[in-house]
Amino acid sequence: MATTIPLPTVAGFRRQRWLARFVRRYPMGVAGGVVIIVMAVTAALATWLAPSDPLRTDFLAMFVPPGANHLLGTDAFGRDVLSRVIFGARTALLVGFSASFGGATVGAIIGVISAYFGGTMDLIIQRLADILISFPIIILALVIVAILGSGAFNLIVAIALSFVPRIELVVRASALGIRRTAYVEAARAIGAGHWRIIFRHMVPNVVAPYLVMLTSFLGQAILLEASLSFLGLGVTEPTPAWGLMLSGAAVDFVQRAPWMAIFPGLAITFTVLAFNVLGDSLRDALDPRLRT
Amino acid sequence: MERSRSTAAGRSRVLGIALLAGVLVVGLISHPTTAQQPRSGGTLSYVVSAEPPSFDAHRETTFAMLHPIRPHYNLLVKFDMPNYPKVIGDLAESWAISPDGLTYTFKIRRGVRFHDGSMLTSRDVKASFDKIIFPQGDVVSVRQATYEMVESITASDPNTVVFKVKWRSPSLLLNLASPFNWVYKADLLARDPHWYERNIMGTGPFKFVEYVRGSHWAGVRNENYWMKGRPYLDGYRALFIRSVSAQVAAVRSGQALIEFRGFSPAQRDDIMKALGDKVVVQEGGWICNNLVVFNTKRRPFDDARFRRALTLAIDRWAGSKALSQIAIVGPVGGVMRPGGPFEAPEAELVKLAGYGRDISAARAEAKKLLAEAGVPEGFTFELLNRNIQMPYEFVGIFLIDQWRQVGLNVKHVIKESGPYFADERAGNYDAAVDFTCDFMDEPDVQLHKFTSADRSPANYGQYIDRVLDQLYRELSRERDPARRLRLIRQFEKRALDEKVWQIYVLWWHRIIPHWAKLKGFKMGPAHHLDPDLQDIWLAE
Amino acid sequence: MTRYVVKRFLLLIPTLLVVAILIFVLIRIVPGDVVELRLVSGGMFVTKGVVEAERARLGLDKPIWNQFADWMLGLVRLDFGTSMWTGAPISHEIAIRLELSLQLAIMSTLIAVALALPLGTIAALRRGTWIDFVVQFFSVAGLATPSFWLGILLILFLLTYFHWLPPLTFTPLWQDPKANLVQLIWPALAVGYRYSAVTTRMTRSALLEVLREDYVRTAWSKGLAERTIVRRHALRNAMLPVVTVIGLEFAFLIGGLVVTEQVFNLNGIGKLFVDAISRRDYTLIQGLMLFVAAGYLLVNFVIDLLYARLDPRISYG
Repeated sequence: MATTIPLPTVAGFRRQRWLARFVRRYPMGVAGGVVIIVMAVTAALATWLAPSDPLRTDFLAMFVPPGANHLLGTDAFGRDVLSRVIFGARTALLVGFSASFGGATVGAIIGVISAYFGGTMDLIIQRLADILISFPIIILALVIVAILGSGAFNLIVAIALSFVPRIELVVRASALGIRRTAYVEAARAIGAGHWRIIFRHMVPNVVAPYLVMLTSFLGQAILLEASLSFLGLGVTEPTPAWGLMLSGAAVDFVQRAPWMAIFPGLAITFTVLAFNVLGDSLRDALDPRLRT
Repeated sequence: MERSRSTAAGRSRVLGIALLAGVLVVGLISHPTTAQQPRSGGTLSYVVSAEPPSFDAHRETTFAMLHPIRPHYNLLVKFDMPNYPKVIGDLAESWAISPDGLTYTFKIRRGVRFHDGSMLTSRDVKASFDKIIFPQGDVVSVRQATYEMVESITASDPNTVVFKVKWRSPSLLLNLASPFNWVYKADLLARDPHWYERNIMGTGPFKFVEYVRGSHWAGVRNENYWMKGRPYLDGYRALFIRSVSAQVAAVRSGQALIEFRGFSPAQRDDIMKALGDKVVVQEGGWICNNLVVFNTKRRPFDDARFRRALTLAIDRWAGSKALSQIAIVGPVGGVMRPGGPFEAPEAELVKLAGYGRDISAARAEAKKLLAEAGVPEGFTFELLNRNIQMPYEFVGIFLIDQWRQVGLNVKHVIKESGPYFADERAGNYDAAVDFTCDFMDEPDVQLHKFTSADRSPANYGQYIDRVLDQLYRELSRERDPARRLRLIRQFEKRALDEKVWQIYVLWWHRIIPHWAKLKGFKMGPAHHLDPDLQDIWLAE
Repeated sequence: MTRYVVKRFLLLIPTLLVVAILIFVLIRIVPGDVVELRLVSGGMFVTKGVVEAERARLGLDKPIWNQFADWMLGLVRLDFGTSMWTGAPISHEIAIRLELSLQLAIMSTLIAVALALPLGTIAALRRGTWIDFVVQFFSVAGLATPSFWLGILLILFLLTYFHWLPPLTFTPLWQDPKANLVQLIWPALAVGYRYSAVTTRMTRSALLEVLREDYVRTAWSKGLAERTIVRRHALRNAMLPVVTVIGLEFAFLIGGLVVTEQVFNLNGIGKLFVDAISRRDYTLIQGLMLFVAAGYLLVNFVIDLLYARLDPRISYG
């Protein structure tokens, strides 16, 4: 159904034309992209945009409903919910981007190498990846977080690691196709080095699945971060993070202070939605075969 | 010639009364808290916030197993809840302590039957306490060390059990009244000492019906209970609910009438707002507290001046006022519970570092000490805390704010219980919010945490202080109540003021909102002590 | 065919063995100590000797390979060991919670399919119209909404408008169907909505593809009614990828259960897993992970077989 737009190449003018065509064909994706940019700017300028310090507690102003002083109300410690939602964007984007880039890149590298060299190593890596994807991603991430300990950085590593086997399998499949093509065989025949072949011929050809997986990871990573923090195994207090804001008091006092539960959840949903529509559009544009 | 005692308190104020009490206490029944006539019938549902690990109380420390399982059992002696810390007989009809304090003779109640119909004799009591005090083979008894003064237990006739002790111990009777000392059946223990880990067979007011893991525990009235007319309830149902919101919802909706451990002020308000005069609230002291332990192996925490500055910076009196509005903390106290029999009188308390009424003077002194210790303005360290919001995170946030006011920049590091303990044990922290919580006011128990790191598994401060160890030992053998109090004050001064190894922030404050129709329940100072459900009844 | 089935089934065994090794290694590097959490975390008086004796009793002082051998020897005899926290057999711990989780999973799947099939079909048939757009938005939003948040909102809704909460203890379906459904319908909705998002999209695109096939075009040209075409030809063929996705998303579903059981305080496998992790109950985490992995492998094995039945073009040698 979706029309394929040729892959962007290094040539600048072609890229511009590609972008223009993308904007024309996928308005939803563009909308998603705009939301993400706004989000990123908010996160970057959080210090100036937030009405107050997200960590500042005020025991005289606990559970204040949304109003003039606190646009989105305050939480169980009297902290400003709006400020925490704004600063929470930082945590979400930081964890989301780092985990997705890290996981996708490491996974892709392993996939390409595994496909290129083949043999026993390939076999072992494949079995391992097969096994790792037989665990629900949240269970894998839970165990890794338990091993590493909580906190934003460990959470990034945990989420990234649970992405690795998933992208590895996809990239390896694409890379394997190229590995068997005549030009790679020819390059090997004329004695080109392994790394030269990998970087010149194989890597450019797995860019499409890489990007597609990457964008689909972004939303997932943010959701995972929220879920793990919600379960008390992710980012820890007092760091402002949306999932964390939804755990504990937000649930305990949902009827008394519903704003504590509603706004962080909306923030998660909007962000993930934006990433997902952008991801969908990119996938359709890059490679409709990868549509799931 | 044997003299007997009816109370076990070492409280100076009640000292005279205690010595006068030469009368045997014969099966004193706890008084109903209201004038209404108790009514039989009904099933009580209540919330338990955690689940029992095993069913054998001798090897557990959690209240989570007491709340649902305790009603199946009796103790030898127990705390009289309306008159805590008074000890009364449970299976013991009466008892006598020899004048030298070395022989305890308990007369066992006659006509008590186990739920399987068999008769309880002194042999069962002896077997149960043998398991607690002299565990054999791979049997683990958690509180074994608190009975090291006991030399032997003998069942001289079917209704008499005699405890011989090596030295006079002021705390033995209280320790015997531990809510964990359930009396088991000797034959079953002889067959398999681990039998009780997975099975129930007691003499208590309620018989076991079912346990659905993760869901509930149910019991039904023991029709052959030894106390006539008890229990009042037809049965009970303990609902295991971990989520705090679900706990509150359960009480609000009437699916449960009470949670015996307690709620936070905000939850109390929620429940009261929703149910109005259908609920009553009991509040009071709690033998639990939050402390801060310092890693004395790290600079500058190895410097007593720095630690003293840290305790001086905390405005406990103002903190108590503010925090008690929002968290389950409140009373300001030293090493023993404020309001308890060993509390520090306020006149003495305010002399300790950090307990003075003049906070600006204390903070000025703190700044001076910081300068002397060579700690610069804006010095940064980490405060390790446990990811339990109530009250740990509140206490942590409070501390950070207090220390900020003397120019220290403290980072809150909150970890899940597993890594939190691992870090504490490994000395992988600067300062940590710590805690103690027990079922009785007793220096043997509360001060143990302060004894040297090689003696106490709960001392994470990494320090060795033989003076405190010596004081602790003396205290555990000192029988004279006045001298005991003096030793406690001495211990307190050294631990909190001179060495400042660990400091108390605030003691906890217990809040139990429950349905008014639940009667016959008097909240005690420990959630471990609460219900054997024998005297609880439902008004309708 | 039979040979293929047997061969595939036998291949599961070495896979599970590797899974077991991997799980064991992973779990044992999780820091924390079950004995400490059980005896010390309440703040009560405990001595060092007691803590060490408990560790010894649980075999935690044995060399790691020794502990592994114990576990493996047990597994061979189909003995999953006992929980370090409760001392109860792990198979029992899982068994008593399986009914709830399984029922919740099935109900979520049913809700998901009940939402996805009509929505996906209508979106495909009305492709490009506002209906299609709404359906697509509904499903994309479903993917973006955390199911635990949806759960919290559902609870808020029930509390505010009905002053009512689902019952706290689980009643098996065969005992009291009404009480059971009343308890599970809300969490099933929270999980099912999210789950339906993937399936809706799959149904839509699968149907779009089928609608372009020659035989469907022929059917159109024969002038058959739309309903007949969709029901007789298109939908049946589109079932294949949908079934696959339901199988693949099994893991996804388990993830949804982990958080949703927490929100609704349901005594299921997901809550058991989170509890086991926070208690550092090594043996129980091991057992559960092995169980989940085995479940996933089995479901996919069955899906493969279903695939073979549904699509005669696939042959197995």
